[in-house]
Amino acid sequence: MLRKFTEKNNAIMSDTNYPSDKKRDFQIIPRLEVRQNSPEWLRFLIYTISLLVGCVCAVLVMYWVGINPADLIQEISILLFSGTRTIGAILAQTAPLMIAGLATAVAFRANFWNVGLEGQMIVGTIFATFIAIHDVGPDSVRLVLMAVAAMLGGIIWIAPAGFLKLKLGINEVITTLLLNYIAFNLLLHLLFGAWKDPVSGFPHSAQFDLVERLPKLGWENLTYALPLAVFLVLLVWWILSFSRVGYLLSFVSSNPTMAKAVGAPVLGLSITAIIMSGAIGGLTGFAIASGLEFRMTRDFFSGFLFSGVLIAFLGRNHPIGVGIVALFMAILVLLGQSLQVFYQVPFALIQLIQAIFIICVAASEFFLTYRMHWRN
Amino acid sequence: MLEINSVSKSFGGFQALDRTDFDVKIGEVHALLGENGAGKSTLMNVACGLYAPDSGTLKVNNRLTTFNGPQDAAAEGIGMVHQHFKLVASFSVLENIMLFFNPDSSYGKSKEIVASKAKTLAKDLGFFIDLESRAGSLSIADQQKVEILKVLIAGAQIIILDEPTAVLSENEGANLMRLIRKLATAGTAIILVTHKIREALDHCDRITVMRSGKKVHEVLPNNVDGASLTKLIVGENIISTTQYSSNKSDIPLIQFKGITVLDERGRKSLSRASFQVCSGEIYGIAGVGGNGQNELAAAIMGLKKPIEGNIEITGIGDVTLDTAIKRRRDGISSIPVDRYLHGLAGKQTVLENYSIAAAMRGELGSWLQFNKNLAKSKVKEAIIKFDVQGVNNINQRASLLSGGNAQKLVIAREFSGKPKIILAHSPSRGLDVRAGAAVHDRLRAARNDGAAVILISEDLDEILLMSDRIGVLNRGQISAEFDAPATRSDIGQAMVSHA
Repeated sequence: MLRKFTEKNNAIMSDTNYPSDKKRDFQIIPRLEVRQNSPEWLRFLIYTISLLVGCVCAVLVMYWVGINPADLIQEISILLFSGTRTIGAILAQTAPLMIAGLATAVAFRANFWNVGLEGQMIVGTIFATFIAIHDVGPDSVRLVLMAVAAMLGGIIWIAPAGFLKLKLGINEVITTLLLNYIAFNLLLHLLFGAWKDPVSGFPHSAQFDLVERLPKLGWENLTYALPLAVFLVLLVWWILSFSRVGYLLSFVSSNPTMAKAVGAPVLGLSITAIIMSGAIGGLTGFAIASGLEFRMTRDFFSGFLFSGVLIAFLGRNHPIGVGIVALFMAILVLLGQSLQVFYQVPFALIQLIQAIFIICVAASEFFLTYRMHWRN
Repeated sequence: MLEINSVSKSFGGFQALDRTDFDVKIGEVHALLGENGAGKSTLMNVACGLYAPDSGTLKVNNRLTTFNGPQDAAAEGIGMVHQHFKLVASFSVLENIMLFFNPDSSYGKSKEIVASKAKTLAKDLGFFIDLESRAGSLSIADQQKVEILKVLIAGAQIIILDEPTAVLSENEGANLMRLIRKLATAGTAIILVTHKIREALDHCDRITVMRSGKKVHEVLPNNVDGASLTKLIVGENIISTTQYSSNKSDIPLIQFKGITVLDERGRKSLSRASFQVCSGEIYGIAGVGGNGQNELAAAIMGLKKPIEGNIEITGIGDVTLDTAIKRRRDGISSIPVDRYLHGLAGKQTVLENYSIAAAMRGELGSWLQFNKNLAKSKVKEAIIKFDVQGVNNINQRASLLSGGNAQKLVIAREFSGKPKIILAHSPSRGLDVRAGAAVHDRLRAARNDGAAVILISEDLDEILLMSDRIGVLNRGQISAEFDAPATRSDIGQAMVSHA
């Protein structure tokens, strides 16, 4: 039987066209070789190049729908340099995006794909709005109570998915995603029913009282939502990069078997990360309702799930990276809005551009893993 | 048949291969010997198309050729069984083989052919593997068997085996050697990369020795003996002798009283095993693999809870149901059998891998703190003390360390907390002579400092060399105990007896 194998193999070999002995200098398809390691500078270089490629693709796509690169540059410069008002608008937009990205990144660090951010935002905001509508607690601590309630709401909404994942191994992508729809319908139930705005009758909650809003910073229209976001970024950065929790958490995602073997509380760490993610998710909703819109609207959460994943991914799950990417994302969102108004491009185009960046960065992973040989 | 001429390869600044020559002929079993990091694996990775050489040529059947990847090498009839297995954990054994070899365009037919071939081959080899079980659920030894099956089924004409017997029991290893000879007689060329000198001398037709990226010797097995071959490999003499304990205590430090542990499939792999270990002794646990070694190790580390019986530590009491964290606090540390699964996180840095034990002990700050500077100075100290080589930067990934140095890093970490009880599970597996001797020296030093060392090993030579007392693990029980020096044949008998 072994003889048979050998014979068969011989037959295959004789059919094959062997490369001639003549030396070719280049080949069209490069030979791939797994890298032994990839130094920091190479990471940075490849990452930068992938972002540049993304920019070029984005400009090409916009050119294709009829936006001249010159017009595009003009729009961007209006946004950035026409005065403090647009800057204020960008920063106001940045705050919730930052918190959203953070919520997703924290869960990613524990190998937990939290795609239930919108659900956590909704339930968190419902909890906070309950405090606001029913004037729970004295005025002086109302805002703190609302924040705590929002975190609690977020935690309650992520907990079932976390429990199912850790206890029964059920994929969290499914559970967190489905919980979004439950939360959304709960929101509609409230807004079309008991919590309908008593003044206008529209499906959004009554406006929050002044004590229930995040105070103004006194510069443009900015509220304390931005300092809150920055504080959260720094807090999470410290926890992930400078504490034992973060240090052990890195083992939970890279080799949980080994972490267990050396006695690290893998389960506890996973729970901590999941709870943190849920709480920050709840705060995202709070930051929008209490810092931007001053009421609970019907669609305050929409798009944040995708943006959160995007920001966490592009920011390499690093809090500082998340902060920077959130700022760029805010610019992109506002740019999209003005393009929508002045050039009638659909909002889908903005999402398309976001997707282009994701693909470019995801593709960069390939160049970090493999080294290519073009020469023969 | 395969000829490698003057091949060089470097990674970053490191010259892994320096103008190396190698060849293998039809019907020949050619052993490739050398220390960890001598360049054996790199050379073989060049031969099987994984790495592109910086310079030099490859000839198959007297034709110059270049490989653009493993598939080109496979088309030339070169198949490799890697040291670290390349299996898809969530696929079944059959699917893993089919990923590699698809004889028919129809999936169903292909499946039938491969299944029947696999069954016949496995039978010839004396392997018993359920083709439907998931690759990830198999033990290391079984995964290795699947790897060998894979290459054999694809009908490679030149087979490279990278330390194939390192994870097999003696019996399975002997079976494999017989099969290798059978294959060679049928016209296959075999390259055997190994650390085991005995294997090279007894089963090979030619031996090539490599040292630091160069081919240093090519000898015929009839012309050398074990000692001189060792000298060729290492470049110096390393003689291992037994050194028994001088300060053995009579009071048992840890006692196992009839513990039963279930394996993944719910079988009582460890069944009412009882033994005790005193401080200042190395207690060797001999036995053929699969007789409860893994379950015993897991129970000692607190990763699996015994369903009956007790584990007691003198001065602490009953610790049977304690968790892994508690075990560590009790002064137990472990050198696990699979150093890349339980010992190290390959993606994490050397610094992080070393510091995790100290961080768990709270030496690097509270839960809200991680004192990186202290960690850095500690790891630098440990790297020097435990002679971990190949660390250019403490922030490099642990997976870049060679087997011996990775093991040294594990030992450095595990010894950092001054453990009272040390579990060493096949600590020198896959290591070369020099690194293995270094590991043994560390274990002896710990014993001489008063630790109780539990040495689980399937390598009887290691057990005989190291142990002050020997227990034989047979069918989940300690079936016999011997005081050193014990005779090889007595232990061997106890290992296989079915009484």
